[in-house]
Amino acid sequence: MSIKSIQQSVPTSISLLHSKLFHCSALVTFCVFAVPGQTKAQEADFFERKIRPLFAEHCYECHASDSNPVHASLKLDSPASVMKGGDTGPVVVPRDVESSLLVHTVRYDQDLQMPPAGRLSLQEIRDIEFWIAQGAVMPSDETPMLSKEGEIDFEQAREFWSFQSLTSPRPPSVSKADWSGQRLDQFVLGKIEAAGLTPSPQADQRTLLRRTYLTLTGLPPNEEQVKSFLEDAHPHSFRRLVDQLLASPDYGQHWARWWLDLARYTDRTASWLSQDGQAFFYRDWVAQALMDDVPYDEFVRRQLATDLMPHTAADDLAALGFLSLSPTYWKELKLPCEVIKVIVADEWEERVDVVSRTFLGLTAACARCHDHKFDPISMEDYYAMAGVFASTRVIAKPQIEEDLYGPVRVAKDKVAALQAAINELKKQATDGKGQSESEQVAKRNELLAEIKKVENETAHYHEPLVNALSEESLYVVRAGKNAQDGTRLEYRPGARDLPLFIRGNPNRPAEIVPRRFLQVFGNVQPFALGSGRLELANAILKDAKDLAARVVVNRVWLAFFGAGIVATPSNFGRQGSLPSHPELLDDLAERFVKHQWSLKRLHREIVLSSTWQQASVADQRLLQADPENQWLSRMPVRKLTFEQWRDSMLVCSDSLQAYIGGESIDLEDVENHRRTLYATIHRRDMSTTLMMHDFPDPTQHSSQRVVTTTPLQGLYALNGSLLIEQSEKLLNRLKRSECKTVEESIRKVHYWLFLRSPSDAELASLINYLCASGDQPSDERWKQCLHVLLASNEFQFLD
Amino acid sequence: MSMSSSNGFDRRRWLQHVGGGMGVLALEQMLADGREVPKKNQLVSEQGGVHLVPRAKRVIHLFMNGGPFQADLFDPKPSLEKYAGQRPASADLLTERPTGGLLPSPFVFRPRGQSGLMISDLLPNLSNFADDLCVIRSMHADNPNHGPALLQMNNGTILPTRPSMGAWFLYGLGTENENLPGYLVFCPGRPVRFSILWNSAFLPSKYQGTYVNHSKINPSDMLPNLKNQYWSHETQLQQLELLRDLNHQYQSTRNEQSILEARLESMETAFRMQFEAREAFDLNLETKSTIEAYGEGHFANGCLLARRMVERGVRFVQVYFGNGQPWDTHSNHDKSVPNLCRQIDQPIAALLGDLKQRGLLEDTLVVWGGEFGRTPTSENGSGRDHNHHGFSMWMAGGGVRGGMAYGKTDEFGFKAVENKVHVHDLHATILHLLGLDHQRLTFRHSGRDFRLTDVYGRVVHDIIS
Repeated sequence: MSIKSIQQSVPTSISLLHSKLFHCSALVTFCVFAVPGQTKAQEADFFERKIRPLFAEHCYECHASDSNPVHASLKLDSPASVMKGGDTGPVVVPRDVESSLLVHTVRYDQDLQMPPAGRLSLQEIRDIEFWIAQGAVMPSDETPMLSKEGEIDFEQAREFWSFQSLTSPRPPSVSKADWSGQRLDQFVLGKIEAAGLTPSPQADQRTLLRRTYLTLTGLPPNEEQVKSFLEDAHPHSFRRLVDQLLASPDYGQHWARWWLDLARYTDRTASWLSQDGQAFFYRDWVAQALMDDVPYDEFVRRQLATDLMPHTAADDLAALGFLSLSPTYWKELKLPCEVIKVIVADEWEERVDVVSRTFLGLTAACARCHDHKFDPISMEDYYAMAGVFASTRVIAKPQIEEDLYGPVRVAKDKVAALQAAINELKKQATDGKGQSESEQVAKRNELLAEIKKVENETAHYHEPLVNALSEESLYVVRAGKNAQDGTRLEYRPGARDLPLFIRGNPNRPAEIVPRRFLQVFGNVQPFALGSGRLELANAILKDAKDLAARVVVNRVWLAFFGAGIVATPSNFGRQGSLPSHPELLDDLAERFVKHQWSLKRLHREIVLSSTWQQASVADQRLLQADPENQWLSRMPVRKLTFEQWRDSMLVCSDSLQAYIGGESIDLEDVENHRRTLYATIHRRDMSTTLMMHDFPDPTQHSSQRVVTTTPLQGLYALNGSLLIEQSEKLLNRLKRSECKTVEESIRKVHYWLFLRSPSDAELASLINYLCASGDQPSDERWKQCLHVLLASNEFQFLD
Repeated sequence: MSMSSSNGFDRRRWLQHVGGGMGVLALEQMLADGREVPKKNQLVSEQGGVHLVPRAKRVIHLFMNGGPFQADLFDPKPSLEKYAGQRPASADLLTERPTGGLLPSPFVFRPRGQSGLMISDLLPNLSNFADDLCVIRSMHADNPNHGPALLQMNNGTILPTRPSMGAWFLYGLGTENENLPGYLVFCPGRPVRFSILWNSAFLPSKYQGTYVNHSKINPSDMLPNLKNQYWSHETQLQQLELLRDLNHQYQSTRNEQSILEARLESMETAFRMQFEAREAFDLNLETKSTIEAYGEGHFANGCLLARRMVERGVRFVQVYFGNGQPWDTHSNHDKSVPNLCRQIDQPIAALLGDLKQRGLLEDTLVVWGGEFGRTPTSENGSGRDHNHHGFSMWMAGGGVRGGMAYGKTDEFGFKAVENKVHVHDLHATILHLLGLDHQRLTFRHSGRDFRLTDVYGRVVHDIIS
């Protein structure tokens, strides 16, 4: 039978199946005894359907490459090792059932009886006998099933737009040339004109001011800021304002949240982890890095591998929070290690997911169980990347030199021992044993005093720790001899390469995959420096530079316009959207890289553009012609995020506590008047207030917020304590402002909230409400009225 | 209650609006008595009323997120025994992950009720309602991944930019009760895709679903901030009047009406919820025997909440089985399924019985199913992969024929082969039962008319009673 005819006789998906299992395995050919009338493929298929699942379920615990230890040196997870047998020699003799040790072992008819948990069913034993009788055929590299069919064609895949190099586009020629304030405007205008439209006029100054402040700093301007801007006669007053806002610490605090959504930031890690590290160091690091306009490539590198970089300041260590604050899943170590391995593999998958989606806009985690269905990411790519995270351990570290901290570790051990002694005393006391009560008290006081002494005398004892990483590999092994003995997590120094897990199952390891970057980017050089985190970061920024730049530029665009140029910001693959303005995206990305990956420069260009400064009010013709605003012929009206909304209230009521950084505080805490950035995010117990207001789920990477409008939000606005409390604060501020009449007060507060005077009709409505039962409204009446203003659409939407 | 209008606004006009058209006197009376606001009976339809005589007025969708296996529950496949371990060419379909040979379901089926509808022993209580169930055995969808499949089942397409079916229902029919959200989504946690599954996309924002996490069932946990501790309802009414006034002035100069209008409406719904929702969401008001009939657990609570909602005229209630995708049994399938079934069997049976007893089943359509089914072939020996080629769903009440199995899958239950019902067809049929023609329920957007069923969909008349 020719190879060709065999191929035709094998259904496509079976060959796909096998190519996925074996196309990368370094399998050794072995003897195949063909049965007339059956193809080798069909015979091997019997193994796949009936025998391998049996082996996997009953044997791999002790008889697979990663069993620890491998019992009797017998491994049943590759054709070669099945044929080789174990300490007692071959266990399978093809076509000779009675000479095959395996058969007797599973029949339980000799001393050696396997599997230990109980005899297989008769049907299962018969399957094994049948398989051996038929020649014990297993798939091998030489069978036509292992054709390259179904493999990824990387050359062809690179043709897809997002894998292409940046195209260095030239701006299109446009008729309304004077409209373009910034280079990006030409690209936008080109599309607007091509659609037969004209851009909207510039927004008025008040609108622009509110928009600029809230977008760059997350806070509205206060009265003085508005005044000073309006009085600034300098020809470049707006440009100066933008520079001033970009330099303000408010900018870092606002944009930090942009990044933390992607990084699934949490203040509280899982309860079973040691809480030594303080998560907020990472949050504050992000804010400061954005404040300092750390080049984006550096920003990425620090977060993945600052500890492996030659020049790392002590306070950069917190950058590692991106990985070290990753979600972790409970591992019940009483369970067999096969179970725990799956949980650990799930954690690695989460790391692959967050890194590939955040930095590359690729869903590489899809390739854990099979080659990616749509994008050029193979299972090998997945395990090459997962190996990096398998070689990285989450730990807490001090931000000072290890030399300085060494004595602290010793002291901490000592304190722990003293504490244990105290606990022992307590135990004795409850058991009614040991010394008399007074002796015990004396002893305890002595121990406590000693603890105090150690703490006081050890320099840096109270030095806080940050969530960091170390270069250790995780191995999940049996705690004892049997599966019932449970599991031990073993961290070993140095890196490890993971085997490819067949169908994503860590209990079915195939061949080892060296740690390296995704093949589609052309560099398959294995990582050699420790875990490979730094090489991974460098590969993202070098081999995948163009994609990485497109992805982050698109995220910035999304933050300014409410929609990305690519509508799926964390999926630039075939399942994602195509860019609405591909040339614009490439031009922005190219210049972004050229200008040292500066986020602030990009922000400045966008804010100064005519595109971004357009009015949000469009005429009907424009609305009909471009209802989705895909050509950006106007600014969309956007709802403020919960953070912007709440922080605006705090600014307007003059109750914002402006201090920067440090520990988080519960959102609902009555004392909490800090920016919402500092509200405690608890991954397992999220604030219902945040969740109902579209705050992202911190258990996973969030590519963008989905805006909802629901009655539950309505209830919050009507009845929640925030607006009630803020109405009162606002009233107090109003009282301090010493307005003489109701009208004056209304004008004052209206200006604080909306940066404009009320219209006559609005004024009438408000006076009507306030003075319904007399000329002098009561405090209660005022509060109710201010509550309405805080709950109004104008206060929650951004033009 | 003193309603003397020294406040200088037109209370009557305003009440008419806030009451959504209900009698002004009724609302005033309600405020005076502190009683619940009466329901509004007429159908309100933005798109101009129903097209057909409706058989169902409301829908309860019991969503088995993760995807149950059809041949365990409603579609017996004895051939799986015979071909166990083999993978005949007809069972050689691509799904999300590679699967191996056929894996028989160990669960026993029996004919039930007068109709003899085959239902598995896993669902003994539900089996008592066999003559009410219309099982569609020939469902099929387009995608074997959870995300896209959840989107298709809810939104009609895998594109993330289309309105959910619930939003279409509300757009078509309005709501029967202005005091509660017209579209409620209960999940004790979150399905793997979140608010996109109940969004309104380009339909007016007010039609989006309201998600309620019912993992804790105190009304105050499900509906935080339900009570205003500071001001009277009358004060709140005045506040809302001012709010509406100011918002309208703001809105009058702006284009993006939908989202602004939706926010105002959501506040007005919120206001009215204060009167009715606490009571509507309070399961403690049920009798002990009712609570016992539904049994314990999140899903049981969800079913009981669903009944309380439809009873009060909520148009569409979805109850997700659980957090994440509990029915996604890629391993240890046979061990997990009995436990999952135990959690749904009693509550669904209780729900159907309860609706029936209250005369609600007649015009309430109950829909059961996952985003897809599972493979009859094994994944890693003990699991089953996703299967969009063929799976079962059932409907009950609301004008469907009970005691029937419609359509067929192949010998192994892998692929729908006879009287196939695509998700589009299901949507077309549900709309039809609601009195809406899926080809005429359109919304003009971006220069063309959109439908829930896109350019597809066929009403399955054979299953309509």
